Amino acid sequence: MYTDRIRNFCIIAHIDHGKSTLADRLLESTQTVSSREFREQVLDDMDLERERGITIKASAVTMNYKKDGKDYVLNLIDTPGHVDFSYEVFRSLAACEGALLLVDAAQGVEAQTVANAYLAIEKHLEIIPVLNKIDLQQARPVEVIEEMEKTLGMLPRDVIKVSAKSGLGVDELFKAIIERLPPPKGNSQGALRGLIFDSVYDDYRGVVVYLRVFDGSLRAGDRIYMMKTQMSFEVTEVGVFKPKMSPVEALHTGEVGYLVASIKSIHDVEIGDTVTHDKNRAGVALPGYQRPLPMVYCGLYPTADTDLVPLRMALEKLSLNDSSFTFEPERSPALGFGFRCGFLGLLHMEVVQERLERESNVNIIQTAPSVTYEIVNKKGEVNKIDNPDHVPMEGDIEEFREPIVAMKIVLPSEYIGTVMQICEERRGKYISTEYLSEKRVILNYELPLAEVIFDFYDKLKSATRGYGTMDYTFLGYRPADLVRLDILVGGKKVDALSSIVHKDQAYYKGKKLAKKLREEIPRHLFEVVIQAAIGSRIIAREAIRPMRKDVTAKCYGGDITRKRKLLEKQKEGKKRLKVVGSVEIPQEAFLSVLTPHE
Amino acid sequence: MTSLYIHIPYCVKKCSYCDFNSGPHPRALMDRYIQALGKELEGTRAISEGFQTVYIGGGTPTALDEAQLERLLTLVKDVTGTNPPREYTIEANPGTLNPEKVRLMKVGGIDRVSLGVQSFSEGGLEILGRIHSPLEAEEGFYVLRDAGFSNINLDLIFGWPGQTLEEWGQDLQKVLRLGPEHVSAYCLTIERGTPISMDVRTGRLTGSDEDLQHKMFKKAHASFTRAGYKHYEISNFALKGRECLHNINYWNNGPYLGLGAGAFSYVDGRRYSNVKDVQKYIEKITSGRRAVSFTETLPSRRRAAETLVMALRMHSGIAEGEFHRRTGYSLTELYGPSIEKFQHLGLLSLTGGRLRLTQKGLFLANQVMVEFV
Ligand SMILES: Nc1nc2c(ncn2[C@@H]2O[C@H](COP(=O)(O)OP(=O)(O)OP(=O)(O)O)[C@@H](O)[C@H]2O)c(=O)[nH]1
Ligand code: SF4
Ligand SMILES: [Mg+2]
Repeated sequence: MYTDRIRNFCIIAHIDHGKSTLADRLLESTQTVSSREFREQVLDDMDLERERGITIKASAVTMNYKKDGKDYVLNLIDTPGHVDFSYEVFRSLAACEGALLLVDAAQGVEAQTVANAYLAIEKHLEIIPVLNKIDLQQARPVEVIEEMEKTLGMLPRDVIKVSAKSGLGVDELFKAIIERLPPPKGNSQGALRGLIFDSVYDDYRGVVVYLRVFDGSLRAGDRIYMMKTQMSFEVTEVGVFKPKMSPVEALHTGEVGYLVASIKSIHDVEIGDTVTHDKNRAGVALPGYQRPLPMVYCGLYPTADTDLVPLRMALEKLSLNDSSFTFEPERSPALGFGFRCGFLGLLHMEVVQERLERESNVNIIQTAPSVTYEIVNKKGEVNKIDNPDHVPMEGDIEEFREPIVAMKIVLPSEYIGTVMQICEERRGKYISTEYLSEKRVILNYELPLAEVIFDFYDKLKSATRGYGTMDYTFLGYRPADLVRLDILVGGKKVDALSSIVHKDQAYYKGKKLAKKLREEIPRHLFEVVIQAAIGSRIIAREAIRPMRKDVTAKCYGGDITRKRKLLEKQKEGKKRLKVVGSVEIPQEAFLSVLTPHE
Repeated sequence: MTSLYIHIPYCVKKCSYCDFNSGPHPRALMDRYIQALGKELEGTRAISEGFQTVYIGGGTPTALDEAQLERLLTLVKDVTGTNPPREYTIEANPGTLNPEKVRLMKVGGIDRVSLGVQSFSEGGLEILGRIHSPLEAEEGFYVLRDAGFSNINLDLIFGWPGQTLEEWGQDLQKVLRLGPEHVSAYCLTIERGTPISMDVRTGRLTGSDEDLQHKMFKKAHASFTRAGYKHYEISNFALKGRECLHNINYWNNGPYLGLGAGAFSYVDGRRYSNVKDVQKYIEKITSGRRAVSFTETLPSRRRAAETLVMALRMHSGIAEGEFHRRTGYSLTELYGPSIEKFQHLGLLSLTGGRLRLTQKGLFLANQVMVEFV
């Protein structure tokens, strides 16, 4: 196969614009997936993806395509659209020469359309603009193509109109892929250089490395060397994704596939590393990736202390498949030993927690999420703090700084007033308004990240009837009037329930939080008092009355077995609670801190 | 000695809170059912020492017609005749009693009747979906007394949606005026899948809260003990010497044989039950097979836990020596720390070597028991 018959591209778009559905059509046309194996969004193969109907992981797949009597190899990467998974997009782009930028013909250009398009432009990828869902009644192709021109500089004549649902326009799209996207460059005779863009842990085969070959070629039996981790291995298998792993004889320059090399330790592989031959090493490594900075942190603790080691193993395995979350051991006075984990957003946090529980069978308690703050002490030293419990005494703080983001909100102009009001309430600073068209605008604001992370997106959605979309990037830290809000349960401070809040909201939030906890913590055999405090000052108090009744009234003959089973079930349920002092606190309580503003 | 339980899975109409194995069935089916019961009863002749107690429950045994009832009681007498039990109970629903049935019960050798009154409130009976009126309940009681029954239990339910503490007080007064020998007062449990649970879930009815139910429980305790009844089990009160021997055997984790659809047996440490479905039960028995559909034999450690959990239901609890004799384990070795904790919380008392739930502990029994299973 000549390199000039290869095309590597990814599909990028705003969430739900139809990337995975378009991938379905391409796989179908090239008969990569047999009709027997076919199901909708076939590349979304994780249970969580299917349940939620969104793509979480980027997936690569190799297709064979014939045009004018010539055989082509097309490597496609389907990417997620949600902001929290933009690192997946970022890594995928580095393995491609081109990108299909999809825009929903009814929704139009949205926040992640802009964000992902810029990522592709920065990487100098060739972009094919694609207008999707033209079968929809609400489709407004003329306006949307105008929006694409105005915001992204796409030429209207370059836009390919398709329906990923019906397959309309797919042939023309193939033609554009072959004609407009450049084949990979690279030196097929040179020393091997392959970029590790993903990996996964397999219980039988060890670490499976996903890579894009930039120079040279790779075969089973080759001895390879990882340029960053400086480890060498013998390759036992190389292959491509169809979309299941299928062994091939060799991976050549420009190709995308995987390698297996009985790599048992997950520490031996790093995403972004360059694979070369051990004997004939490449001189310079590929640029690789910069790890994204986590936006939110929370603690993850096993409910049973004995599950600490299994939890660590699960975290390590998962981090191999998701290099965008971080974890470090921490100890909480209330919860014992666990891990402080960093995520790109709340959805990312939710997904990681769910994957951990599913893939490891460990029950996990998650503490309230927090962003990272900067605290300047009296000596002028700056400390970064991602755990509210680590905030020093008020007297030791010279300056408290919070992270600020540049926010871009795309919305129909009729909602400008309402959305601006939401931003003001959240201490936002207005920057500018850009017009996409007469009816749609981009609002630019600067907002504290803490105000954005929690319920901003939901508020935006409901204020704009679902039409508003947003994207944000980190700007830097700014001083603010912040305090730590503590929660005491049964007179004991529960560090995992502490949060950092703005002084003006502290009183209100403390009251609200105490109320919420009263509902979330079950009744005990004794009265449980919940207090909210700032420093030593108690600002709210709630009491949970003692339990009065827990009895099976009737229990005769045949009920004995049933009664025992009910008790056993009740016992199981208790295992999901974390005991702090003598109070059992359920997971929901730790998330009460997320209670929205109103 | 073993106890005998006979199940009649038949009711005129399903009550709104009921999740027992019971319901309306065609008359002819009940004829065949009784025939099958006869066959299953035949098999018990081998138990030569007889039964210490016999209990016909349901469902509603008294919903059978006179001929069926007579047939059933004759079949039972056939096998117990030479060795009459110390206690022979039948469950009765006030809406199905008449002087003839009561006469048959008496002739059949029954000496204890458990009358399902549940409430003397018109509204309460409606919410509970009972087929009888308060007046019929009262009449039923007098018919039994007139026929010479001197050991009567009244079943009551408290804590149903909307019931007030005053209403419950009125029910208690009424019962005390009638003066039965035994009272079972159950706090309503809303079981999943029952009509009443749907009504509570959809908000048509508002479930009673636990603080109110606790007050009702305390009120029942106070009223009955003042009137000379002994609160001898979580939900049961009796005049001296009138405790229900049949149920005490269950709580002692003693052996029993259960006949009929869905009935449980416990023999030589093995617990098993018949198929629940009436048709299937009849088919199996009639064709000469056994109708067992579930069996379990618990390892000794779990059997010991069960013994403790059941014994704690009774006011007398269990003596350490007795526990050791019955299970082979030492109570304090198995559960020392938990027992201490609950003593501290005031839910358990351990005095004179006897472990029991305190008055406070009775209504929180599951919180204690869950640590023992
Ligand atoms: N009518 C119509 N619906 C489409 C078309 N393409 C996709 N859809 C629907 O749009 C929804 C989202 O499609 P997906 O393919 O999951 O979108 P996605 O871009 O992969 O979403 P994420 O991966 O979560 O960002 C699904 O309900 C599809 O059936 C189209 O051309 N026409
Ligand atoms: S009479 Fe008893 S067994 Fe029959 S439906 Fe009512 S509660 Fe259930
Ligand atoms: Mg998708």
